[in-house]
Amino acid sequence: MKIVAVPSHALGPGNVGSDGSIGGIGSIGSIVVEPDEARVLVSLSQQMQSLLADALETDADTDAGTETDTAVQRLLPNAYRDDPELADEWRRFSRRGLIERKIGFARTLTTALTPVAAGDAEGTVSLTTDAALDWVRGIGDLRLVIADRMGTVVDGDDARAGEPGLQDLYELLAWMQDGLVQLLEAADDAALEAAP
Amino acid sequence: MEGVTPPPAATPLVDEKRDLQLDAQVGGKLDGKLDERGVHAAEVPWAIVVWNDPVNLQSYVAWVFRRHFALDQPTAHQLMMQVHTAGRATLAHGNREHMERHTEAMHEYGLWATVEKAPR
Repeated sequence: MKIVAVPSHALGPGNVGSDGSIGGIGSIGSIVVEPDEARVLVSLSQQMQSLLADALETDADTDAGTETDTAVQRLLPNAYRDDPELADEWRRFSRRGLIERKIGFARTLTTALTPVAAGDAEGTVSLTTDAALDWVRGIGDLRLVIADRMGTVVDGDDARAGEPGLQDLYELLAWMQDGLVQLLEAADDAALEAAP
Repeated sequence: MEGVTPPPAATPLVDEKRDLQLDAQVGGKLDGKLDERGVHAAEVPWAIVVWNDPVNLQSYVAWVFRRHFALDQPTAHQLMMQVHTAGRATLAHGNREHMERHTEAMHEYGLWATVEKAPR
C-alpha cells in the first residue's frame, strides 16, 4: 500500500473549495492498494457497518444508557461521566446521528475499495478532502474496535495483544491513519497559504 | 470552520467584538439573564475534556485539535501532549450546548471526550 500526496504546488488556489477548504473539489492525494489489502479493508468496513447498524437498533435509553458491547462503548462514549441524566439526554439527541455518520465513513471505504478488491491488480483511489476525512475517521473507528477486541487498555499494552494477524492489521491501519493525517495537514497548510 | 473556539487554558475567553454585537442585539431585554461582563475562562460554567486513549496516534490527535478547534500547531501539539501525559486536557470552555457540539465532533473523530462543569 502507498499513500501519495498531490504536490503542494498543485494544491494551489485553483483547487480551493467555496468554503476555503482545499480539495473539496479536487484530489489532495491518492492511495494505492493491493487487491488482498482492499479485500481485508472492505470486510472490516462491512463488519463496522453491521456493528453500528445493530447499535442503531438497540435502544441505549434502557439499561441506564449503557452500550452493551465494549467496542460500541468506545465508539460512542458517554458524554457526561458524573451526570446520568444529562448523559441520557445527550445520547437521545446525538446517538443516532453519530452512528449514521460513522456508518457513512465505513461506507466510503467499502465503496471506494470494492472495485479494487474484485480485481487482480493494485488499484489507485483518488481522495478529495471530504473523502480523506471519511477515510481517516473510518480507519480510526476500525482501530478502536480492533484494539477493544485485542484488549488494549493502557498505553504500551498493545504488545501483549492476541492474534498476530490482528496485530498486523492494527499496525497497517495506524500507518494509514498517519499517512492520511499528513495528506490532510498538507492540504490545510496549502489552504492557509492560499487564504486572502 | 464552524464553531471556532478561542484558545483554551489560561487565555481569557473574551470575544469583545462578538460580545458587543450580542449586547446590541439583546438591547438589555434579557437583563439579569445575560452576563454583561467580559467572561473569563474560569467563570464559564462548562468545559470539554479530551481523555487519553491508547489507540489514537499522537499525530492524529494533534491534527484533530488543530483542525476542529482552529489552534496553531504548537498549541495543538501541547494539548495533545497534555492528554498523553496528564491523562486529560480541557480544550474549550463555554455554554453547555456549545460544549456538547464539540464533544459530538470529537466522538466523530473517535476521540474520547466528555462535557463537565468547569471548576469555579
